[in-house]
Order: sequence, then structure tokens, then C-alpha cells
Amino acid sequence: MPWCAAILAALARKHLRVIGFLGALVSAIAAALLLLVAPASGSLKEALMLLYSCLTLGAMLALPRRDCTYGTISGILFLLGSTLLAYSTDDLRILLAAWIASAIPFFPEQWFGARNWRPRLALLLSSGLLAVAIMLIDWKQHTLSIEALTRQSPGGIPAFALLVAAVVFRKGICPAHAWIGDAAESGDLVPTALFLNGHFGAMLVARLIVPLFPDTARDLFPLLSYMALATALYIAVRALTENSPRRLLAYLALSQSACILAGLESRTVEGVTGALVHWYVVTASTMGLFAILRLLEVRFGENLTASNHLGLVAHAPRLAVFFIAFGLALVGLPGTLSFCSQDLLIHGTLVSHPLIGLLLPVATAMNAVTVFRLFIRLFLGRRRTGFTIMADALPRERWILTAGVLFVVLGGLFPNAFVARWAAQAESVEQSFNAPPAEPVISIGWVYGLRR
Amino acid sequence: MSFPETMLVFLVLAPGVIFGLLALLWLLGLVPPERFVSSITGLTFSASLLAFFVTLREVLKSGTVAVTFGNWFTVHDYHFPMVLMADRLSVAFLGMTVVLSGLIGRFSVTYLHREPGFFRFFLLLHLFAFGSLLAFAAGSFDLLAGGWEIVGITSVLLIAFFQLRASPVENALRVFAVYRACDIGLLVGVFSMHHWAGTASFADRLPFLSGSRASTVCLLMLLAAAGKGAQVPFSGWLPRAMEGPTPSSAIFYGAISIHAGAYLLLRLQPMLVQSGLASALVIAVGLVTAAYGTICGRASADAKTSLAFASLTQVGVVFAEIGLGLKWIAVVHILGHATVRTLQFLRAPSMLHDYHQMHSAIGGEGSRAPHLEDLLPQRIQLWLYRWALDRGHLDTILDRFVIHPLMRLSRLLAKLDRVGLRRSVDRPAAPVSEFRAPVQERAG
Repeated sequence: MPWCAAILAALARKHLRVIGFLGALVSAIAAALLLLVAPASGSLKEALMLLYSCLTLGAMLALPRRDCTYGTISGILFLLGSTLLAYSTDDLRILLAAWIASAIPFFPEQWFGARNWRPRLALLLSSGLLAVAIMLIDWKQHTLSIEALTRQSPGGIPAFALLVAAVVFRKGICPAHAWIGDAAESGDLVPTALFLNGHFGAMLVARLIVPLFPDTARDLFPLLSYMALATALYIAVRALTENSPRRLLAYLALSQSACILAGLESRTVEGVTGALVHWYVVTASTMGLFAILRLLEVRFGENLTASNHLGLVAHAPRLAVFFIAFGLALVGLPGTLSFCSQDLLIHGTLVSHPLIGLLLPVATAMNAVTVFRLFIRLFLGRRRTGFTIMADALPRERWILTAGVLFVVLGGLFPNAFVARWAAQAESVEQSFNAPPAEPVISIGWVYGLRR
Repeated sequence: MSFPETMLVFLVLAPGVIFGLLALLWLLGLVPPERFVSSITGLTFSASLLAFFVTLREVLKSGTVAVTFGNWFTVHDYHFPMVLMADRLSVAFLGMTVVLSGLIGRFSVTYLHREPGFFRFFLLLHLFAFGSLLAFAAGSFDLLAGGWEIVGITSVLLIAFFQLRASPVENALRVFAVYRACDIGLLVGVFSMHHWAGTASFADRLPFLSGSRASTVCLLMLLAAAGKGAQVPFSGWLPRAMEGPTPSSAIFYGAISIHAGAYLLLRLQPMLVQSGLASALVIAVGLVTAAYGTICGRASADAKTSLAFASLTQVGVVFAEIGLGLKWIAVVHILGHATVRTLQFLRAPSMLHDYHQMHSAIGGEGSRAPHLEDLLPQRIQLWLYRWALDRGHLDTILDRFVIHPLMRLSRLLAKLDRVGLRRSVDRPAAPVSEFRAPVQERAG
């Protein structure tokens, strides 16, 4: 459906927002229906599809009129179709195709591509590594069905390593993190935000690495957790002196979302639930922040900076409130859903990896300072004169941003329904980790695996 | 739910609900007039006061009022209990919060009349009252942490109340950074308690920990308490926080927020007794802060900063009392101090005017009364004066040994990140003077 809508938008070249909105709306309704009929313990992909469809729906409404070109709308719909395909498929070939297709709009500079080589290289490498891993699995097991390959450790350590490397590049795990900032800095902001919020890296971990390689993951995956923690800390420190709002938001999104991997690997129900809830929160909050930044750029110019006070609150008070609400929701303000997710995440990781449990709050605290710094530099500190009247959030933007804020706030006030569903899902992920090994010879560890 | 329990719930939730309603009205494009805001504030705090008296009566009768809402969320073995509780300790703080918040609300109606941020101030006042009532009525450290964080963020937003001036908002950022850094202690402390004791609830009794575990939890909590209570070495933020409007300074730094750290330690006292090291450290921190506050306060040139340091001195003494196990003396001290200091803060703007009137009536400034520091040798007086003027060099030390190295590291990482990139790829960070004006302005 999104791809049909993308083709329609490219051909019709008018009523673009309506086409985009309807395409995303149909996807969201279909995903919601699927989620309703799916069992609580096996509804990860349906839930992710619903999240991403709603995110695209919101982006369609929040997209400034200047950005509503046929290229952008059709690109976003194409991205939606690819992402939904990747989330929903049970076949590795289709997963690879969707993985590559989702990245295609970000290669050409004329479409959503950044103006430098690092995002292109990272996407190319992640796609190449995934392709090699899938070829290896096909060669060893002669099947590419995820269900048939579950708990089989297909392809052994080399396939596992290739998949982890693909995650590192796609997710922007340190030392392959720099492309995230570049992509946000010089690409189209809203589509790039949507692309980053697909969280294909985390999806690969939750849907492929843990179910297929539970034993190997149990022994070797902590390495990826520590890399994710290093990324969260590294990026949090790095963001302290960054002055480009686009880069800053990209770093915040990266640092906060790196915690998801640590939670997924925690091997505790609390940690995995926290990671899954955090996935939702980070996605909703960062999308809101990116959208607000783009709205500010359209109103006040594209060279906004956090090096000085800009005092935009006098012209855009509601955008300022939405910004701080999303920002604080991202870093765990009580009363928002991220407070629950971080509570669970830190509690879960403290049980399994005390070091991660201790350092995650440090990274989150630094990110909170960065969010607040960006807020005060953009919105406060200076009385700007000389502007004629500037529109604050338009009704269309206001409603969708209010919906986003209500989601993170109401989710935080009444988290149990939300958390309970994820807890059921998390228990199945945790069981994949902690179940007795299917093939004992594979599960001993790195050294033994190499010998074998 | 019995009547006193309902009243306890009402007491805590009323300001939060009013905050939510006012915020929603504003988001929908409606800014209520001053008269409406002041009326609803008066009504809320009057009703809360009545609810408090009902709660107080029940606490005096039966010792505790506790309301259990079940769990906020549950995952596997882990749950986040939602228990509101008023016992003899918390009821004192609840009463202090309701009375002083109501008074500050009434005072601010006149003080901030026609101020552009009138509505924002009252919005934040309600949020603050909700946060502090939640923290003081919490039956577990998890819930206490929730209220604690709300108090922190409200405090910071009120420091930046005069939002179109650079100095208040930069100071707000500094205070926010200190709060967040110290709150790590609270979060990790609560998680450690869950990890070792299986619960962080104190509705029935405090989880029992002893030895190194008790010391670890107490030291982590001390970090949080010292941050919120502006104890040494985190005292540097307190004078910066005086940038906010006087009513908010009164309620935050004269009365409630500054004592939140002491409340945390009072709640933790049974565990504090188990750890000699933590108790000694609490006493040491308190006494050093008391000395620091009194010395720096003597060199302060403005009334609010001087009052802030006086406040700091008293909170330092309260910490020492808690460390010594004098729990109820500390509670009485807090109540007395909060009341007097709030009055002093609220009087501060008109005090100079009164002094001038008095001096002109008596025909001069009169003779200077003797000061304690006159007993010291001249050289030491001078050295102390310089030391106090720079506020004990605490901010300098923090800058030199924490903030500057962190910033240097951040810049180094930025350099590493840009390896292999052409300069033209990144947008240059434009100074504000180059801030591109919108099309309308240039056309106009």
C-alpha cells in the first residue's frame, strides 16, 4: 500500500500530503488490526509496524509545506513500505531486499542523501555484510526461513559476526557512529529522522540474532552491549560541545537508542521490556524533536545554532513547549513513558551487567544536559527584535505534536497496559536466551567456536 | 478508601490536576486571565489545606495514613509500587508545602501582576507543589524519585523565568547540570536497594541493609541530598538560582526544595544508623557547609544571595543533626527555618526601601554593630574575605577539574569525528549576528 501510494504521488504530483497521509493511515490501520489479532507474546513485528506507520503519519502532517514535494512524499512512502516489509517478513532474502531498499533514497544526493561519503559507505557496508551473512546461512542450511532457522545457529560464528557487524554499521555503534551526524546534518531532516528511527539494527538483533543464535549470543553478545554502552557514553560526551542542532539531535537519538541494545542483551525480562518500551519512546520523542527543528528552520532560517541564544520563544512559544516536552520525555522525566522504560532498562541491566546499569544513568544525565542546553540556546536568552509576526505552531502541526506529547505523557501516567504487552514479548526473548542450548557444541564460546 | 485516605490522595493530586488543566488550555490556544488563575490557585490550596487537616487528624490518631494503588507497572518480579503515605515525618513536610505554596501563590498574585510570565509562573507553581507533595507523600523511594525530579525541573524552569535574558537561562543550565549529576546517586541508590533488598518501599518499614551495602546506598543518597540541598561541594549553584523571581526563590531555596535532601536523609535514617561511615560523612558535609555558608554569606552584596547563604548554613546544621541521629530536632529545625526564611525572602524586595525610610527618619546609618569576624587577625580576615567573595572557589574548582576536562574531551572527540571530512561538508556554526532573517523581514 505505501509503495502504491508512493507511485501515485510520483505520478500525480498534486494533493501530495493527502496521498501520503492516506497511505500512512491505511498502513497504520492495517498494522493496528494485525496487532489486535496477534498473541501478546508474539506481536513484536506488528507493534513495530504500527509504530512506524504512526510515525510516518505524524511526519506527513508535520512536514512543512516547503518540503511537500513529490520526491519527498514518494520517498517517505517508499521508506515506509520497505520498513514494513523488513519488520514483517520471515524470509531472509526479503529482509535483505527491504534492508537495501530502505537505504536507496539515502544514496543519491539529489534525493535524501547526505553531501558526504560516510553515510553512503556505512549503509553500503551494512547492506554488504548482511548480504554475505545471508549467503553464508543459505550455503550452510539451505533454507532462508527465519522460523525454520530459529535456534539453529546457522552459519556459526562467522554468520553471527557478520550480522553483528551489519548492526554496528547500520545502528551507528561506536566506532561506526560518525555517519549518523553527517546524515542528519546535510540530508533532508524529516526523512532522515524517519530512516534513523526505523532502528533496523535493533530489529535485526531482536528478530534475527537472538532467536537464531541464542547460544552464541549468550556468550558473545555482551561485547555488543559494551560497545553500545561505549557509544551511549561517547556520544553523550561528544554532544556536550556540539553546536549544530541537527547533529545534536542525531547524537541524542543515537546515544539514547544505543541503550536499547544493552537492554535487549540484558537477558532479564525487565531489561528486555525496558528496551522495547524505550524503542517506542525514543522513536516518538526524537521524531517530535526533529520535526520541531525542521519547523523552526523553515520559519527562521536553516543556519540555526546552539552556540548562542536565539530567543525564539517570543515567536514560537508553543513549539518551545513541545520541544522541551519531547526533550525531557527523551531523557526520562517522571510522568513520561521514558521514566518507566529507563527504570526498567537500568534495573534490568544492573542485574545482569552492573557496569552497564551504573553507566547508563551517567549517559542519560549528560544527554539531559544537552537537551536542555539546546532548548535554552534555541528558544531562550535573548529578546529578538526586527521580526514581523512569525507563525507559531499551525493547527495541523499543533494537533500532531500534541498527540505525540500525549502519547509519551499518558503512556507514562498509565504505563501498565503498554508495559504488560511488552513484558509478554520480552519473556519470549528472554526464554530464547536462557533456554538450554539446542546444540551444546556451539554454545561454549568464542574460542571453542573457532576451534569447531 | 476511607475519608482521610481520599483526602490524602486529593492533597497530592489537586495541584497536579490543575497544572494539567491549565497546560491543556494553553496548548489549545487559550490563556486564562489573571483573575481566573489567582482564583483557581486560591481555591486549590485552600481545599488542599482542609485535606491536610483531615490527614493530620488521622495521623495524630492512628500514626499513618497509607493508600495503595497497586503497582504503577509490573514486569516479571519487578514492580513499581504506587503507595501514598502520610506518617508523622511526612505530614510535617506536607503541611509545610501546602501552607507555604498557598502563601506564595497569594503573594505572587500581586507581586507578578501584569508580568508577562504570570501564567507560566502559576503553571510551574502548581507543578512544583505536585512534585513536592508527591515526594513527601511517597511510600517508596521510586515514587519519591519521581516527585524529586519534578521539583528539580520546575526549579530550573523558574530560575530561567526571565527567559529573554542570557544570564538567568545560563544559570538555569548550570543548576540543571548539577541536579542531574547528583540525581544519578538517587537513581542508582534506588536500583541498588531493589537489587539487594528486593524493594525500595518504606511504607511498612525501610528495607533492611547492613554493612557495606547500607553504606553504599547511604552514600549514593547523600550525593543526591547534597546536590538538592546545595551542600559542599555542590553549593555553587545556589547563588546562581537567585536569578528567578523572589517568590520562587522563597519557596524553593528558603523553604521546600532546599530541604528535600534533608527529607531524603530523614527517610533513610534507620539505614544511616547502620553505617558509621555514611553518618560521619553526613555530619562532616553538614558542618563544612554551615561554615562555608556563614563565611560566604558575610561577603554577599545583595539581599537574596545573602539569604541564600544563610539558608545554606541552616541546612548544613540540619544535615549534621540528621547525621547525629537527632531526627525530630532536625524536623523542628526545618519547619522553623523554612517559615522564617520564606518570610525573609518575601520581604527582601521591600526591605531596602524600609531601610532607607528608617535611616532617613533617624538621620543616618547609625553605628556598625560588632561582628564575629572582628575577633580574627586582619590578615586572616582579608584572606577569608577574598575566599568568600569567590564563594570558596567551589565553582572554579568544579570548572577546572570536572567541566573543562570534559569539554576538552568532547572537543577532542569532535575533532576525531571530523577526520576525513572536507570542511565544506558541515554547516558552519553561524554566530547570531549572521542569523538569517526570514523573508518577510527582509521584504519589509
